[in-house]
Amino acid sequence: MKCEEAEKFLPLFLYGELSFGEEERLEVHIDECATCRSALDRERALHKALNAGELLPSEELLGECRRELRRRVAHLEPARANFWSRLKEGFTIRIHPFAPAAQPLGAVALVALGFFAARVVPAEFGGRFGMASLADPVTSRVRYVEPVGSGKIQIVIDETRQRVLSGSPEDQKIQGLLFAAAKDPSDPGLRVESMDILKSRPDSSEVRSALLYALQHDSNAGVRLKALDGLKNFGADPETRKVLTQVLLADKNPGVRTQVIDLLIQSKGDSMVGVLQELMRKEDNGYIRMRCQKALHELNASVDTF
Amino acid sequence: MAQPALRADESDLIRAAQKGDERAFEQLVRLYDQNVLRLALNLLRSPEDANDIYQETFLRVYKSLHTFRFDCSFHTWLYRIATNLCLDALRKRKVRREEDSMIQTSDGVINRMDTVEEERADGNPQRHLMSHQLRGRIQEVLASMTPRERTVFEMRHYQGLRLRAIGEMLGTSEEAAKNCLFRATQKMRAALGDFV
Repeated sequence: MKCEEAEKFLPLFLYGELSFGEEERLEVHIDECATCRSALDRERALHKALNAGELLPSEELLGECRRELRRRVAHLEPARANFWSRLKEGFTIRIHPFAPAAQPLGAVALVALGFFAARVVPAEFGGRFGMASLADPVTSRVRYVEPVGSGKIQIVIDETRQRVLSGSPEDQKIQGLLFAAAKDPSDPGLRVESMDILKSRPDSSEVRSALLYALQHDSNAGVRLKALDGLKNFGADPETRKVLTQVLLADKNPGVRTQVIDLLIQSKGDSMVGVLQELMRKEDNGYIRMRCQKALHELNASVDTF
Repeated sequence: MAQPALRADESDLIRAAQKGDERAFEQLVRLYDQNVLRLALNLLRSPEDANDIYQETFLRVYKSLHTFRFDCSFHTWLYRIATNLCLDALRKRKVRREEDSMIQTSDGVINRMDTVEEERADGNPQRHLMSHQLRGRIQEVLASMTPRERTVFEMRHYQGLRLRAIGEMLGTSEEAAKNCLFRATQKMRAALGDFV
């Protein structure tokens, strides 16, 4: 292999997209060629640097997309297969070994059905023909597998079946589930949606505690922003202010910090000065520094501590 | 991507959704929608456009799910719809200027992408600046790529899809996808040489 060809192969090598033979030839060449070895190191660094360009959608955006889709789907008539497609579906035999033999039988049955259906089946019945009801969707996962003797094995499967509960958000049971969903570590989208419902009832002390907890501990900025939204009328509440101050100095997300400033400066007080001055010392976001400076100016305080 | 253990459930969900089960359709959406949104956001670099692609993709899926015959995987079928919509949007955008991500508000200038992205750099201002500049440069290179190069690069580098699958989704060969990826990485190398 020549260096020119090796150079072309380097990015594909890092993506694992070379054939076995190509990879083998490249590795042999790299072992022997110092220039291509350092070119591979540079390519690796570039490969890693490119990760910085990836954008991750916020959970808020995802939640918004899901809500909009749900609204739009609700206004659509379900697209159903036409009568002939469903009839064909009803006669499709899915057990593959027998399919070739069974298909002519199905065809004959179709012809016979057409002949009799035209005489005995009312026209409006056609739309529902051949539809079997399905059980509720179930998510399953194999928990463990073990031999049980005489050549047999035992497989234990965990199954999660859906249940639909409905009720008012004031209902204790519903609220309990909402609190649990708001802390579900596996699904940030679910947390955003739960927070969206909870935030409209911040007068309840339980709900407010859940909002404050999410603001301090949720790993997702979208969830924290929703919690902040729910706390917007509690900027003067001492407990809320205490948490907001901690979040302002510790949260990594500039959007959250900006909103916390907005909330805190709703009720101005000298206690804010120290916090804002401390923030000025450590903040590197230009926009937040500007907001902070403005707030300090309004409080007739200096930007720096002495 | 769906876990192998979930494949059987996925087929059940598709069949139930084909018969009009709304809950099954929603579950199906949730299996893939984060990846579709990520793909659209990275290709179009605008949350509003990404939302439009998300809506259009899943509405098309909803309307034509009854035509899905399991000839290919649902994932491939879905991505084919999403990538074609993204490619169309990118081609249309070629005739107008790439949208500026900075917007003027009553409180000053803010970056729209701040509402999208988690802050990744730590408290180190120098690293933050480097990371910001690097992202800016990557965005410039992405904007200079052809829609196909950009799509292949995004699907391979950020979505981790195999070139064979990408070719299938874009209606082209694995070899053509490989050439697109090669050109895209060459452009990146030429533009980001001083960062690495």
